[in-house]
Amino acid sequence: SLPIDVLIHGTTIATNALLERRGARVALVTTKGFEDLLWLRRQDRAALYDLARDHPSPLVARADVVGVAERTGPEGVLEPLHQDEVVRVVAAVRALEPPAEALAVALLFAFRHAEHERRLVAALRDALPAIPIAASHEVLPVFREFERTSTTTVEAYLRPKVSAYLGRLERDVRARGIGMLRVMTSSGGTLPPGAAATRAASLALSGPAGGVIGARLVGAAVGLPDLLTLDMGGTSADASLVTGGSPLGDSGGTVAGVAVALPAVLIETVSAGGGSIARVDEGGALKVGPESAGAVPGPACYGRGGDRPTVTDACLVLRWLDAQHPLADAVRLDRDAAEDALRSLGSVGGASDPTAIAAGIVAVAAAVMARALKRVSVARGLDPRRMALLPFGGAGPLFGCQLAEALGMRTIVIPPHPGALSALGLAAAAERVDLLASLHRALDGLSSGDLATAFAPLLEEGRRQVPEGSLLRYVDCRFAGQGYEVTVPVTGDDPQRIRDAFLVEHRARFGHAGSDQRVELVNLRVVALREGPLPRFADARRVVQRPGASRPITLRGARVSASVWALDELAAGVTIAGPAILAGRNATALVEPGWRGTVHPSGAVLVERT
Amino acid sequence: MTLDAVGLEVMGHAFASVAEEMGLVLIHSAVSPNIRERRDCSAALFDAAGEMVAQAAHIPVHLGAMHESVAAVRGLAPGPGDVFILNDPYTGGSHLPDITLIGTIDVDGAVGGYSVVRAHHSDVGGVQAGSMPAGAREIFAEGVIVPPLRLTADVERFLLANVRTAETRRADLAAQRAAVARGAEGLRALAARYGWAAVRGAATDLLDYAERRARDALGRLTATALTATDWLEGDGVDDADLAIRVRVDITDGVFHVDFTGTAPAARGNVNCPLAVARSAVLFVVRTLLPEDVPTNGGVQRAVRVTAPPECLVNARFPSAVAAGNVETSQRIADTVFLALAAGGIAVPAQGQGTMNNVTFGGMRDTGSGMRDGWTYYETIGGGQGASPTAPGPSGVHVGMSNTRNTPIEVLEMEYPLRVKSYALRPGSGGVGRWSGGEGVIREFEALAPMEASILAERRRHAPRGAAGGRDGARGSTCLNGAPLNPKVSVSLAPGDVLRVETPGGGGWGEPERGDKR
Repeated sequence: SLPIDVLIHGTTIATNALLERRGARVALVTTKGFEDLLWLRRQDRAALYDLARDHPSPLVARADVVGVAERTGPEGVLEPLHQDEVVRVVAAVRALEPPAEALAVALLFAFRHAEHERRLVAALRDALPAIPIAASHEVLPVFREFERTSTTTVEAYLRPKVSAYLGRLERDVRARGIGMLRVMTSSGGTLPPGAAATRAASLALSGPAGGVIGARLVGAAVGLPDLLTLDMGGTSADASLVTGGSPLGDSGGTVAGVAVALPAVLIETVSAGGGSIARVDEGGALKVGPESAGAVPGPACYGRGGDRPTVTDACLVLRWLDAQHPLADAVRLDRDAAEDALRSLGSVGGASDPTAIAAGIVAVAAAVMARALKRVSVARGLDPRRMALLPFGGAGPLFGCQLAEALGMRTIVIPPHPGALSALGLAAAAERVDLLASLHRALDGLSSGDLATAFAPLLEEGRRQVPEGSLLRYVDCRFAGQGYEVTVPVTGDDPQRIRDAFLVEHRARFGHAGSDQRVELVNLRVVALREGPLPRFADARRVVQRPGASRPITLRGARVSASVWALDELAAGVTIAGPAILAGRNATALVEPGWRGTVHPSGAVLVERT
Repeated sequence: MTLDAVGLEVMGHAFASVAEEMGLVLIHSAVSPNIRERRDCSAALFDAAGEMVAQAAHIPVHLGAMHESVAAVRGLAPGPGDVFILNDPYTGGSHLPDITLIGTIDVDGAVGGYSVVRAHHSDVGGVQAGSMPAGAREIFAEGVIVPPLRLTADVERFLLANVRTAETRRADLAAQRAAVARGAEGLRALAARYGWAAVRGAATDLLDYAERRARDALGRLTATALTATDWLEGDGVDDADLAIRVRVDITDGVFHVDFTGTAPAARGNVNCPLAVARSAVLFVVRTLLPEDVPTNGGVQRAVRVTAPPECLVNARFPSAVAAGNVETSQRIADTVFLALAAGGIAVPAQGQGTMNNVTFGGMRDTGSGMRDGWTYYETIGGGQGASPTAPGPSGVHVGMSNTRNTPIEVLEMEYPLRVKSYALRPGSGGVGRWSGGEGVIREFEALAPMEASILAERRRHAPRGAAGGRDGARGSTCLNGAPLNPKVSVSLAPGDVLRVETPGGGGWGEPERGDKR
């Protein structure tokens, strides 16, 4: 076998620890008088009309919060931190029973004045050298105390588990003679395992990031820089956006109801996947999801004990999927089981024929996904009609045409190997470190020198962490009084150019450039990047020029004969008129009537309206 | 035509998606924080007959509240493509800061429906910045009144000449107009995709479907002549309690609330038009329905609200109404819940029932020897009432509001204020089989001379427990330790400390087998 130079690892260990609440026992050290911040959150309730529903409880037990007599304000220290208070706090933390396994230190205004946090961390480290400590000025040195405190707590909660896991993995990797291990983060870049172990919270949203990086790569290969992506899996579908060739970022994330405000690739999850279960409600409407059969027991047609009708069962009954053609994992599909499951719904609006019910299920699933795709784009001021749709995952490409029609989109990109796009994204992801610092200054009062001075420590840290990488500078700006920021790239140190760039970006995103409000520079960001070698898509085995066969499928209530093509082996330049099924090893695509696909040299299929 | 099971769901998502898109366009392109961040706004699509087909209500106070706006416009012989504006509470509005734009949607040259967008503007003129003056006795003090008018450039100029922050208002109105246009485009796109006859038929079917679901769910409850009385603690002019009295009947799946016995028009600003009372009742009904019932006019068909003319909740021109949306709406929802609980219906105990509105304002140096006015407004969460199945959440907004807090680090960087503490209020939730949620303590220190005004409730009458659960603790507002009235304006000197303790939620069920928190 070939030697392996680099192993790039995407892991759900952090996400699962949050979902299952199996992290470390954390003690939180915070400013006295504000010990309840994690419980107060942002004061909005969990559900507008379900008055019994509460937010998930914080990761820290209330008894494990230690208040510190100290206070810093916007201009500096208001109440000093006395040495005897430091001693008292250390003793209080040591006295916790059962003892804390990790510590989070998050004081008010530490994003700007970190001295008190530093002293507490130093004293705690001396007293408890074996216990990991996360400090808010290191984890997320930006304003908004709830999000910073929560993120710091997440880091402490995850760090012991993640660092132990990565330590083991690194030893295994070495033992197998693999040259290098890298770990995927939420921002769509990779870190060396040592760095990842102390940035455990930055792995929490990394799961879906790989697919978006892969989508971006395919978009670049086919010359489409603006993409709406949809990764349709078993229980849910993840929507994301690529604009101007870059994945859209988001720092307002939550995992399992816990705020994690670190840079991340924007993902909006919709509960519609292949395993989503269909039912008829008491008012007579057909619902699909949010309940899902998942992978186990899975759709009825998997023959693993599931007997409730799912989207995958519907696709099989419509013959979009082929019972003769096993899915990934060598799952054989049982059409009779799928039909039985659909029949169990009884009469659906007068129809009891499984094919009619199946057509209804896919129409509803598409409506749910279309609504989510519209929401994710419109909420960011982007018009889907000006973008291309890139559906991936095993089942996503079956829904491309329906979704594009619902959203008024004209172009669909079916990536090569749609079921393995996340892996491709992982392999292609750059080494990346995101660094942040707070500034909070009016742009007007800022000189070029001020800006260079403020960026200097971040640039130095970037150079240290990613030697020989490129350093990209960004700033978060906002109009005074607004609660949201816009990130713009910085070229040169001229504040006037930043202001112009901000106004242009603001107009592009929000349709206006404010109304004479002051512009503030809130945060500085440095992204240190080192791109790896990009994968090549060309594939010598791409020789298929014509369909293998045709088979009758059901589309919008009508039976039509679809040509069937080998998706993974299509030769460049081949055109495919709908209706057509493109069957690959790990995914199936559907080109509907009124659409025509053209195979790009990369192996992607560009599907456009005829 | 009758939609089948699939069509109902597909078209339900399609209409909801148009309303959602309108709301997102508004929130995304508005300028003022009150719309962008507090999301005090709403968007809805109506059919040509004036029934609401879909709504994106971001906070419950806007729920179903725009029916009257469309009715007012329909009386003016609207032509396809016209856009109207109004804020008059006596002709289709709620309170003056809520400016509503109503676009008639041109489908093939006829009025195919209405695209309606309402947003709370943080100033619409009147005697005080913010246009919610405490102590107002007539609506004329609360701002500029806009009856339903075609929105022309002249009308906009006239409106902007009457407000304090004209540029921000202009930008927010532009965002509203863009949202109205997006709604019209969305409906036309559906017509192009499915055919207009099918879309129109689908709207009718969806209304029937929602009505059927609502009446099904309500039909499982029986209630006859359930009554309750609760109190508003003064009207901003006078400190005396004002009764809100309801009688609830649920017959054949129709939820009827009658307000006979409610106090007559108040002298201050706690009056509200019947549309606001209806929103509060609709909120209660919404909590009784399964989550997936679409919010449309079909649900409203299952709700009837009646009130004697000229009572507090059926405001008489020219009564002041600014606080009606904010606090009276809360009390109406509370009173209806209380009546249901008294009838043995499984509803939560009362929550804090107030938004604890706190406004600070003063003058500050802007550099170069200039001085400028500033104001800061926030509302503070409290305890939710416990429900029959769970404790009440703590430190949240209840009822008709759900806006987020302002981070302390933002507040202190931008205003001459310091937050001394921000904490849950231990023991404030009423005990019960399930405990009520806890209130909040928020303590502000003034760093400069300033005015503060507080508009709050539940300082005298505690949130009630249900099914034997105990009441939540009452709220309080103290200046340097001395208690203040529920609705009051005070001057603060540097070093003065204003401490707000918000009410806890009521408990649910007898606490005999230990108090589950």
